Amino acid sequence: MPGERAALIWGVVATILVVVSTIGVFLVAPEDADQGVIQRIFYFHVAIAIASLVAFAVSCVAGILYLRTRSARWDDVGEASIRIGLLFSVLVVITGSIWAKASWGTWWVWTDPRLVTYLIVVLIYAAYFVLRSSAEDDRRMRYSAIYAIAGFASVPLSFYSVRVAESFVHPVVFTGSGANMPGSMLIWFVVSQAAMIALFIALLEVDLVGRRSERALRRLALRLENA
Amino acid sequence: MSRRRQLAALVRKDLRLELRTRETIVAMVLFAIVMMAILQFGFGTRDDDLTRFVGGLMWVTLAFTAVLGVGRSYVAEREQRVLDGLLVSPVPRVVMLGAKAIAIFLYMTAVEVIVIPLVGVFFVQGPYWDAIGWIAIAALLANACIALSGTLFSGLALFTRARDLILPVLFLPALVPVVIAAAGATHAVAGGPHDMSEWRGYCLFLLAYAILFSLVSVATYDAVFDD
Repeated sequence: MPGERAALIWGVVATILVVVSTIGVFLVAPEDADQGVIQRIFYFHVAIAIASLVAFAVSCVAGILYLRTRSARWDDVGEASIRIGLLFSVLVVITGSIWAKASWGTWWVWTDPRLVTYLIVVLIYAAYFVLRSSAEDDRRMRYSAIYAIAGFASVPLSFYSVRVAESFVHPVVFTGSGANMPGSMLIWFVVSQAAMIALFIALLEVDLVGRRSERALRRLALRLENA
Repeated sequence: MSRRRQLAALVRKDLRLELRTRETIVAMVLFAIVMMAILQFGFGTRDDDLTRFVGGLMWVTLAFTAVLGVGRSYVAEREQRVLDGLLVSPVPRVVMLGAKAIAIFLYMTAVEVIVIPLVGVFFVQGPYWDAIGWIAIAALLANACIALSGTLFSGLALFTRARDLILPVLFLPALVPVVIAAAGATHAVAGGPHDMSEWRGYCLFLLAYAILFSLVSVATYDAVFDD
């Protein structure tokens, strides 16, 4: 089964990368002069945030492809991507909150637009599942696809909003002129990022294999009933 | 019939229905005033100066008023089966989208014609009409955002189970960036000396939101009523 093999390969790749990045982040990467050990959460916080955005981008593309082809396969990809993206987003909010407590002395800063808009992104994608559960069959897939596209439109808004207000405290590491960190840190950020993207793909593949198996089982049960 | 005439006819239909029944706008205005009174009592004591909360007070009120208005906007289509007639008529879906968005925009503007000057009387410091003018421009941009996203989400909620519950769940998270920006723009000009660079930044954000949601709505609205 090509799907199962892909899930296995990505699972192995993700495991290796997560282990390597964890060792690198905690034992090899230099400590930040200002923030100390807590800065190491950055490698996971930002990497998970970017991976969640990738997941939402995949769900948006799957939504477009569903509306074009009306194939249930794209609905599966869209739903699984949003499920994983939402899980990653909750982790972003939790790790961001821990970092905020250590750096700013408080668990949450309402005046920081990026934290707040990220919470909005979480709420938007949580509503996806409410919409999904209140419609049936073709309508459910169609509405989910439309909502996945509309939801993804909110993601660039969250990035734009951080630069609208002048008084914000959120550190902006990646600017138009490059990354504000030395190469010895950047390399471990890149490894962490690769690990999180690989983890997303592995989870997606496992989810899709699960759905395919469930459908196959249902077909088999139907055939047995008819026999 | 050209698209422009179709659009004008559909907008006229919504406005004529509203003028005959006066159900939606009157209820929206009353709701907004009651909501603002409740919020006013909810904030602090009577001798507190609430000018710094004016943006939040006004736009939280208008966001909930928008949910009410958007929820009512498809009542005739659903209950009097207007939608059946529209869907079999040779009217492109994008024209239906445009007409509904214009109707919601006009409903919101009608509410704000009363609410904004009222808010100004109680909260604005400095030159009254000057501040009201700048707030009104931001409000028109915010109305465009509300109308475009509201039309799409109310279309999605129309045939779902528990649609009255689904609409706020879908619509309010998408409205949060609009509330942040509109409240920020209001705050920038309401408290005495105007901070025009901040006002401009928030207005640009609202413009970007409106453009993005108009693209998403135009691209996906065909699929909303694809039954």
